[in-house]
Amino acid sequence: EKWAVTRTKHPPTSLALQHFDATYSVQLGQLWPSVRAALLSERKYGALLNHFSHDAVLADLEAQGCRDFLSDTATETQPCSEQKPEVATEEESVSMKKCDSDSQQLAPLQLSPNIKCLVFPRGDITRFKPARPDMYGLLGYYLMDAASVLPCLALDVQEGHNVLDLCAAPGGKTLALLQSQAIGFLCVNDASVSRMLRLRKVLHSYVPKPLLTDEKLRITSFDGTKWGEIERNTFDRVLVDVPCSTDRHSLMEDDNNIFSKSRTGERRKLPELQLELLLAGIEAACPGGEILYSTCTLSQIQNLGVVEQAVYLARENHGIQLQVVDLRPLTHMFRKTFHFAPDLPLGEMVIPHLAANFGPIYMCKLRRLT
Amino acid sequence: TLQSTQQSHELRPLSRKPATELSLRSLVDMGFTDSQAEHINDAMSKLRGGSAAKHALSTLTALFVLGLNPSSVLKLLEKCPELYTVKESQLQQRIGNLRKLGLVEGSLQRVVSHYPQILTVSVKAIKHVVVFLREKCLFTIQQVTDILRDSPAIVMENMGQLEYKFQYVYFRMGVKQQEMVKSRLFRFPLDEVRCRHCFLERRGLYQTPDKKGQTLILNPKLDSILGVDQDTFVTHVANASTEEYDVFKRLMAREWQEEEQWQGSIEVD
Ligand SMILES: C[S@@+](CC[C@H](N)C(=O)[O-])C[C@H]1O[C@@H](n2cnc3c(N)ncnc32)[C@H](O)[C@@H]1O
Repeated sequence: EKWAVTRTKHPPTSLALQHFDATYSVQLGQLWPSVRAALLSERKYGALLNHFSHDAVLADLEAQGCRDFLSDTATETQPCSEQKPEVATEEESVSMKKCDSDSQQLAPLQLSPNIKCLVFPRGDITRFKPARPDMYGLLGYYLMDAASVLPCLALDVQEGHNVLDLCAAPGGKTLALLQSQAIGFLCVNDASVSRMLRLRKVLHSYVPKPLLTDEKLRITSFDGTKWGEIERNTFDRVLVDVPCSTDRHSLMEDDNNIFSKSRTGERRKLPELQLELLLAGIEAACPGGEILYSTCTLSQIQNLGVVEQAVYLARENHGIQLQVVDLRPLTHMFRKTFHFAPDLPLGEMVIPHLAANFGPIYMCKLRRLT
Repeated sequence: TLQSTQQSHELRPLSRKPATELSLRSLVDMGFTDSQAEHINDAMSKLRGGSAAKHALSTLTALFVLGLNPSSVLKLLEKCPELYTVKESQLQQRIGNLRKLGLVEGSLQRVVSHYPQILTVSVKAIKHVVVFLREKCLFTIQQVTDILRDSPAIVMENMGQLEYKFQYVYFRMGVKQQEMVKSRLFRFPLDEVRCRHCFLERRGLYQTPDKKGQTLILNPKLDSILGVDQDTFVTHVANASTEEYDVFKRLMAREWQEEEQWQGSIEVD
């Protein structure tokens, strides 16, 4: 009731807001007010469908009015595809033809037909109910930011690939990767032991035991920055989903907030840590392998800044040549569901919007040439 | 009362015209046209037969004395047929009270024709509102008069809601009494005020002033937030799209509803 009294002086959430106002209004310009309002309002979720569940979850969710955003693609105005990408059917995958003939080579993008993520339509604010276990105790879907599925799709895992998920906990993206059922061997790592416990719980609630054996999966709790010292030139695909300023969380929750005074040092060191993790991920990939860097912040320093430096340092310090892979075919395909930041010089970014309140998610894909 | 109306109707189907001096003839003499007189007669017979008629004459007279012409009297009675049943002495007291509160001729007339319900509210209840505005909200006498003139419906509002609205705008938005009066704040439902304000705030276009009343940005005036239709507000004040505001309103409604439920559940505990 008494507005003046209940407000504490400088809660971390308002420090975060001040910080974002100062940096993002410059970075995003006219887009900032709209992104700001979305960040401060209730977010939307997506339901990552669990293929291993025995219940008819898909039909049930569709009856509630959601749709799989992966098959609801903006195909009609595909500018230069020779052939309309087909909507995923059970045995086929959606293939995207190259859309841009400039500079670099784009391999057609294969999206796994097994990954399905349901969302309520644009502007619809209906919430998902918590998922229920089937007769074997496996849950029907995993609720996550639907935009978090994009880095997993962009990683483009192919049959039999050796995959490293360097910062995996609590496991949303790991789960999405596992849904593709293409992975040969998966290494799941996260430095935080407690978060790793959560990841284990997630895996056990969603994936049948036979798929979690030692031949298929390795779970570790190493400091990811040291990975290059452990296992170099090994993986076909590496997901580097780094810790970041977690913009949405920092604006909404005072608990465990990276903008609290006591964590200032940690926050300042984020770009450094991110760079080390990405470099370690680059080293862990095999020549020809691909690395996907992702964050859930809008911050240029934590996004483009880190990637630029990593590309430079990989060459200078490790003699590794990298190529940035164009993700525009992917973003073009899903522009009905997400708002993407326009004209990013490097990588792609989902920006929150009230009518499609997903993200922020930044992603940039690198291919090792050497 | 609806039932008794119907009953008396059935019992005395032929006595449509109540037995008083208020005949069609006398209504026409007062200046009503034939069809207007019919209208009034119909309205009265739909009310509580005799008792309505008993006070109708004094009501009509009082309204004419206020300087209203027959057609606005008719319109106002259609809006608020209860007025037929108000006792003469009460009506005189209420009108006198409004005059004392500063609603002099022109404005009293306008208030009564816009919001005739104000004459159905007791002198005591109005005093209650006035004391609230003066003592809890610290409006000046002149400001109270202006509020009653611009937003007479305030007299029927729930006091708790009213207090919440005032505190919201005063503390949360940092708006002073003078601005509130100028923007005719009390005409707008609380949710509308909150929704527009929160939308601006989340877009970074509105800040709660600090203890010294300072903000880092220039807040738009309350008047320019409330005094425009929704489209103008969205596109010109908030610089947003209708789609965004539409989603936002639904999100807010749900947020508030859940807050209320939550508070309700603590009170029960
Ligand atoms: C954005 S979260 C990962 C979210 C996860 N990929 C998902 O989709 O559920 C970042 C993670 O990085 C982990 N982390 C922080 N420092 C690390 C390090 N040096 N090595 C490995 N993981 C680290 C944190 O424990 C945190 O779980």
